[in-house]
Amino acid sequence: MTSPTAQAREQEADPRGTSGHPVRGINHMAFPTFDPVGTIHFYRDVLGLPIVQTMQVKAWGPEYQRDFVHFFFDIGNADCLAFFYYFGQKPYHDENLPPLLDLGKHVALHVDTLEDLDRLQKRIEAAGLKLDMRVMHETVESIYVRDPNNILIEIARPLRQLTAADAVDAEVTAQALLDVLASNGEPTLDALWNRKAELIASRVPA
Amino acid sequence: MTTLYFLDAAEFTDVSAVAAAQPGAQMERLLGYVKVTSDGPLVVDRRATGVRHAVWYSALAAVGHGRVVQYDKDALKVEPAP
Repeated sequence: MTSPTAQAREQEADPRGTSGHPVRGINHMAFPTFDPVGTIHFYRDVLGLPIVQTMQVKAWGPEYQRDFVHFFFDIGNADCLAFFYYFGQKPYHDENLPPLLDLGKHVALHVDTLEDLDRLQKRIEAAGLKLDMRVMHETVESIYVRDPNNILIEIARPLRQLTAADAVDAEVTAQALLDVLASNGEPTLDALWNRKAELIASRVPA
Repeated sequence: MTTLYFLDAAEFTDVSAVAAAQPGAQMERLLGYVKVTSDGPLVVDRRATGVRHAVWYSALAAVGHGRVVQYDKDALKVEPAP
């Protein structure tokens, strides 16, 4: 059995607790594209992410399936960002997606340093594209740009390492959210703040 | 007693310090948080903290025995719960 001290030390060394589960990053995230020309230009030529795997597939399976090309861009750590181009499929865009929900759906790529972030910003701007924004968040600095598929791409560099305190706070916040949603009251940020304070107080040794 | 918690992280240090600098406020570090308490209301002037907006609006981690009555570009004000 691991001692509490050893557990705390392990948590400091691995604040996200990733050693406790078998998942290692993203194998791939996939999106449909109606603009493979723009997509390949954006990821391969502008961002410099090589295409590392493709498949050309004859339609099979469900009736709605179409012949397609599936292509994968390397995004580091052997992870990939992938796209499907379906031959003959009419473009579809959800014109009614509220802006709030549109912003909430995005892909964030990681770079290690400020220099890396600046370099990618320069490549994006040199290609004639405009950044949506550049923001110093809490623990990352990010640039945002729309890819040719209107997917919001964030590129983030760390401002500090995450700590055990971040992981504890995440656990407390998640529990507070679950508790607030399970209660009879209206789920609000005020209710979450109050519930978090109760949970923190309950963790203080008597 | 009105209680505010801020995550004990570098980006929030200036916010918790301004909160704790008010007359009657007390501060302690607790379980990864900075806890600021007061018998009365707690007010934090955003400009006094010097933090950027993206940090300001996520600085407040928890509120005990209090009610947030203002949280905008100017200030965070928490009053004792009735």
